[in-house]
Amino acid sequence: MSSIALVGNPNTGKTSLFNTLTSSYEYVGNWAGVTVEKKIGSLKNGAGKLIDLPGIYSLHPLSRDEGVATQYLIEESPEALINIVDASQLERNLLLTLQLLEYGKPTVLGLNMIDVAKARGIVVNHEVLQSRLGIPVLPLIARTGKGSGQVLSVLEKASAIPQATFRLDYGGLAEAAISSIESELKSIPGLPNLRWVALQLMEQNPVVLELLKKRMDTSRLMVICDGCQSALQSSKQALTLPQWIRSVRMDYIRSLCTAAMDTTLLKPHNLTERLDSILTHRFLGLPLFIFFMYAMFKTTFDWVGGPLSDLVDGLISGPISNGASSLLQTVGASGFTHALIVDGIIGGVGGVIVFVPQIFILFLMISFLEDSGYMARVCLLMDSTMERMGLNGKAFIPFIIGFGCNVPAIMAARSIEQPKDRMLTTLLMPLMSCSARLPVYLLFAAVFFPAQQATAVLAMYVLGVVFALILCKLFSKHLFKNESSVFIIELPPYRMPQLKTLGRSTWEKGKGFLRKAGTIILAGSVIIWLMSYAGPSGLNVEMDNSFLAKFGGLIAPLLHPLGFGTWQAGSTLVPGFLAKEVVVSTMNIIYHAPDAAGLEGQISQVFTPLSSVSFMAFILLYIPCLATVGVIKKETASWKWTFFSMGYSLVLAYLVSLVIFQGGSLLGLS
Amino acid sequence: MASTSCSLLRLQPGSTGSIHRIEGMNPILRRRLADLGVSEGVMIRLKGKGPFLGPITLECNGQLFAIRRKEASMIEVNVS
Repeated sequence: MSSIALVGNPNTGKTSLFNTLTSSYEYVGNWAGVTVEKKIGSLKNGAGKLIDLPGIYSLHPLSRDEGVATQYLIEESPEALINIVDASQLERNLLLTLQLLEYGKPTVLGLNMIDVAKARGIVVNHEVLQSRLGIPVLPLIARTGKGSGQVLSVLEKASAIPQATFRLDYGGLAEAAISSIESELKSIPGLPNLRWVALQLMEQNPVVLELLKKRMDTSRLMVICDGCQSALQSSKQALTLPQWIRSVRMDYIRSLCTAAMDTTLLKPHNLTERLDSILTHRFLGLPLFIFFMYAMFKTTFDWVGGPLSDLVDGLISGPISNGASSLLQTVGASGFTHALIVDGIIGGVGGVIVFVPQIFILFLMISFLEDSGYMARVCLLMDSTMERMGLNGKAFIPFIIGFGCNVPAIMAARSIEQPKDRMLTTLLMPLMSCSARLPVYLLFAAVFFPAQQATAVLAMYVLGVVFALILCKLFSKHLFKNESSVFIIELPPYRMPQLKTLGRSTWEKGKGFLRKAGTIILAGSVIIWLMSYAGPSGLNVEMDNSFLAKFGGLIAPLLHPLGFGTWQAGSTLVPGFLAKEVVVSTMNIIYHAPDAAGLEGQISQVFTPLSSVSFMAFILLYIPCLATVGVIKKETASWKWTFFSMGYSLVLAYLVSLVIFQGGSLLGLS
Repeated sequence: MASTSCSLLRLQPGSTGSIHRIEGMNPILRRRLADLGVSEGVMIRLKGKGPFLGPITLECNGQLFAIRRKEASMIEVNVS
C-alpha cells in the first residue's frame, strides 16, 4: 500500500478533493473548514492511502497546525505528493510548490479552481507549468469533482510518477553553503532529500533544526549558515539568508507566472466587493451580524427546530414507548426488565434524542457560515472588541464552533498563531454553551418562558459570552503579562456552499452527538435509573428512598443558597460532568416522565422562574464535561492549566448562581 | 509625477500604493505577510476600514486580507 500526501495552501480545496478521491475514511480529527490534524482515507481505486494535511503557506511553521504538516514530511516518507494550488492565486501558492519540489518525491500538481480563475479573467496554461516544473500538472475543479478522475488514474501507480527533479540555482554563495551542509549530513541516516534539508535549515525552519539536533551536533551547520549570511550581507545581496532564498524563489515564480498565465482580462471580485461593502460596513456590519445570529437562533428553536423536535417527541413517547411496552408484555418480561427498558433506556435516551433536529439545524447553519466565507469577516468585525479584551479576532471561529461542541472548538484553536491567544481561547472555551447544554435551556425555557423561548435561550448563550469576555480581560491581564496579540486573517471570496459538502460537514459534526446518545448517555441513563430503582432497603423502592435520593441529598444543602437545594437537582450535576446531555435524561428518569410534556409539568412544580434561571446559569458555567477536560489536558499539555479551567468554572458557576438567586429574591422576584 | 511616501493608513479607501518599507513589525506577522506575497515593491490596495478602529482590509496580489491599524501603520507606501 502506498501513501500519498495532499499538501497545499489553506482554502485551496484540499478537503473537497480528498472527499472525491476517497470512498471511506478514518477520522483523525477533522472539523469542517479546518483540517485539524490529518485525515487518512483509502483511494477509491484501491491504489493506497491518501493523507489530508492541514493547509500551510510554507514549510516553515508558524502555528501548531502547520507544524503537523512539516513534521509529517520530515518524519514519514510518503510515496508521492499531490500539491493542490489555487489557479486564481497562483503566484502565492507556488512558493510552497517550490519547497515541495525540492523535497524530491514524485509530485503531482493539482491546478484547482480553474473555473474561479476563468471567471476572474485568469487563464493558466498548464502545459507551460508542466514543462517548466517537470511534473504532471492536472487542471481541476475539486468542488464539482471535475478532473478528479484523472488524478485518480495518475495515482493508480504511484511508483510510475517520475521523481521531481526540479532544481533552483540559489547563486554561488548559497550553493556553496548548500553543498557543504549536504556533505555534513551525509552520515546521518533517515533524512529525506539532503538538499531539501539543507535549504530548510538555511531558511531557519525550527522543525528541521529540532530534528537535526536530536541526531547530531548542529553547531558546524550553524557556522556554515552564519558564514553564508555574512557573505551575502557584505556583497549586498540580502540582509538575511532566509530573505535571500525567498527572493530567489520569488523571482523564479514571477518569471514562471509571466510565462504560464494570461491576466490581460483580469476582473475584480464583483460579488465579493459588493457583499463586503455591506457585510463589513463600518456601521452596518456588526448589527447585521447580530441580526444573523438572532435569525439563526430563531430558526433553530422556534421556526424549524422546535416543531421537528415535537414530532420526534411524539414519536418516542407515543408509538415507540407504547410499542416497546406492549411487546415486553407479550414476551412476558419481568417488572424489572420492563422498567429498565421503558423508564431507563427509552425515557433517558429518548429525552435527549428529542433535541437531535435542533442540534443538526444549528450545525447546518454553522457549516453554511463557514463554507460561504462569512466567518472570516466575522473575525474581522469582532477583532477590535476581542482585542480590547486581550484576545484576537481569530479566536472567534473556535468560539462559534464551541456552540456546537467544545471539544473540536478547542482543537480548532490551533490555527491561532500565538501561544498566549491559543491558551486563552482554550481556557475560556467551556463558557460557550455547547449543544449538550442546549437541551437543559430548551426544557426550562419551554416551562417558564414559553412566550420568549428563543430570547431566553439566546440570553444564556450571551451570558456565557459575556463571562468569557470578562474573564478574558482578567486572565490576559494577570496570567499572561506583556504578551501582545497579533492579528491577520485572509478573506476568501464569497461562494455559495454546495449542498453535498454542507450535508457532509453537518453530519460529521452531528454524528458525535448521536454517538454519545448511544454510548455515554445510554450507560448514564441505565446507571442513574438503577440508582433510582434501588435503595438501601432493596429493589423497586420509592424514589425518595433510593440511592440516588440519598446521594443527591448530600449535595443539596450546598445548593440551597442557589435556589435549587433539592436532591433531584443535586443528583443531576454529577452525571452532568460526564456529559452535559445526561442532565436532561437524568431528569427524565428522576421525575418518571414519559414525555416532554410530563417532565415540563413536574419541573414547573419544583422550580420557580428565578431558580430555573439560577439552575441554567449553573449548568452553563460549572465544570467542563469530561471530554472537554481531556482535550484541554491534551492541548495545553499541563495538569496545572487543566485543573485551573475546572476550578475557575466551578467557582464562577457557584458565585453567579448565588448572585442570580439571592439578588433576584431581594428584588422580590420568584 | 513625483511620488510621495506615507503610511498605508493614510491611503483613501479604494486607492493603491506600492510598498516602500515595512519596519518594526512583529516577526510572526511579518512572516505571514511575506507568505501572502506582501513585500517591498508590491502594489497594495486599501479596501476599507473596520468598525470601532478595527482592522483594515487590504488587497494584494488579488488576495483580500485584514490586519490591525497599528500594524498597518508600519507599512510605508509610495503613491504617485
